[in-house]
Amino acid sequence: MFETIALFREALYGALIIGVGCAVLGVYVVLRRIVFVGAALAQLSSAGIALAIWLGGLGLFGTNHAYTIGMSLVVTLGGALFFGVGGGRRFLHHEAGIGVTYAVAAALGILLIAKAASGEAHDIFLQGNILGITRHETIELLAVIGPVLLLHFALAKEFTFVSFDPETAQTLGYRVTRWNLLLYLTIGVVIAFAMQSAGVLLVFNFLVLPAVTGLLLARSMHGAFGYSIASAVLASVVGFSLSIPLDLPTGPTIIAMSGLVALVAWWVRRTRGE
Amino acid sequence: MSDLVRFDGVSLGYGRSPVLTGVTFAVPEGDFLGVVGPNGSGKTTIIRAMLGTLLPLAGTVTKTAGLRFGYVPQRDQVDSLFPLSVNDVVIMGRYDRIPLGRRPGPDDRRAARQALEQVGVPHLADRNLSRLSGGQKQRVLIARALVGDPNVLVLDEPTNGMDLVSTTQILGLVRDLHDQRGLTVVMVSHALNEVANYVHRIGLVFEQKLRLGTVSEIINEEVLSQVYGLPVEVHTFDGHRVVVARRPAGPPSHV
Repeated sequence: MFETIALFREALYGALIIGVGCAVLGVYVVLRRIVFVGAALAQLSSAGIALAIWLGGLGLFGTNHAYTIGMSLVVTLGGALFFGVGGGRRFLHHEAGIGVTYAVAAALGILLIAKAASGEAHDIFLQGNILGITRHETIELLAVIGPVLLLHFALAKEFTFVSFDPETAQTLGYRVTRWNLLLYLTIGVVIAFAMQSAGVLLVFNFLVLPAVTGLLLARSMHGAFGYSIASAVLASVVGFSLSIPLDLPTGPTIIAMSGLVALVAWWVRRTRGE
Repeated sequence: MSDLVRFDGVSLGYGRSPVLTGVTFAVPEGDFLGVVGPNGSGKTTIIRAMLGTLLPLAGTVTKTAGLRFGYVPQRDQVDSLFPLSVNDVVIMGRYDRIPLGRRPGPDDRRAARQALEQVGVPHLADRNLSRLSGGQKQRVLIARALVGDPNVLVLDEPTNGMDLVSTTQILGLVRDLHDQRGLTVVMVSHALNEVANYVHRIGLVFEQKLRLGTVSEIINEEVLSQVYGLPVEVHTFDGHRVVVARRPAGPPSHV
């Protein structure tokens, strides 16, 4: 079993990098009640990949990895920008806007892939192909997610304040819209890169479940980030290690483990009597 | 006394539609101003313009250079899902003095402790904000406003949803801060009975206008009956004003 796991070690490293990155950002996603922004951005990212593949099939766009990630990044950051400035709120409730984006992006992704000349199966966007991660992609993920995490570590005080009480932050001179935009853009960048290998379901899981676990267990923001990271690492390692000998799809096994860890956290919280 | 804030012919609103027009008034140093009016009349809109978080559609809002506001938002605006201690929340009031990317230092922690002492809850410093009662939470938010050493304390519905004891204690605390520290206070409230017995001046927001006057000029039967569209009586009991709204005459209710 260990030999097989060693064979796919790049996939494990990749899952850990994505898991840790999303676990940190997920704390803000859950606290700000923008869970479905994460889902909508992941779908936009997949639509961007599909658009690149479709255009590539028509000979109108490049077909290598750089082109798909570029298109995915452009579409995802466009969405992050839209949600970050509160786009559409004047005419539509925020949640409705997120729902519309999610549904349209999901459908668009499937339609474009169905018509793409290269004919890739569309379920790759849902399940991803975490086992297919190469050394190059692991380094790429680290190069993108690492600086995002450093930025969040440095600006944790500011991100927490504008998320917790934006109105008071604004009275103290914080440009809340710009901070929101920066937060959404960092979420968008991580999602766009993570989506290439992890797929919508796994990315969405990493954005929500570890953070929920962290917030169930923690009594401070530091604790929330710590538990969130720890639960993402635990779910990734255990899920990955179980999926190979049991011949289970790796992404869904990691998600099931994340769910189990969250369930244990809920039980711990309950027994604490809080 | 010099004016700390001055509104000159200000129109305020969201989008293009004005909520208030022709607002002209000043807040002199040492003032204790209550802003009252029916729900949705635009009371909070006025303090947003004062704080600079809402730009006027017309007119000008002038503030003394270097003026610092201590803002106490409505309690339910503060999210209890965040795992933050009382100390964490109070220190936020000094974040504009802490450089970007730096953590709060010993001076900030000392100032937070002093602010909690001023509002009488130093023992709550390590407690989670979400575990506090409404009155305790309000004291913590006042401490956060004080920790930045403000010239003007601005409170938005500070006693909303509180019981009689907590309401009296919070308003007493605000008045003590005004009397003992000479702090200028602007307080928005829909509760006339509370405002009438604590403030020096009242700004009544009604039909898109602000009418400013002393407590007796505003808290009287004629003005309040007109504003609220109900017969309103104002009684005095042991030096305190009590505002009572009578049910309008009409067929008896079966409810």
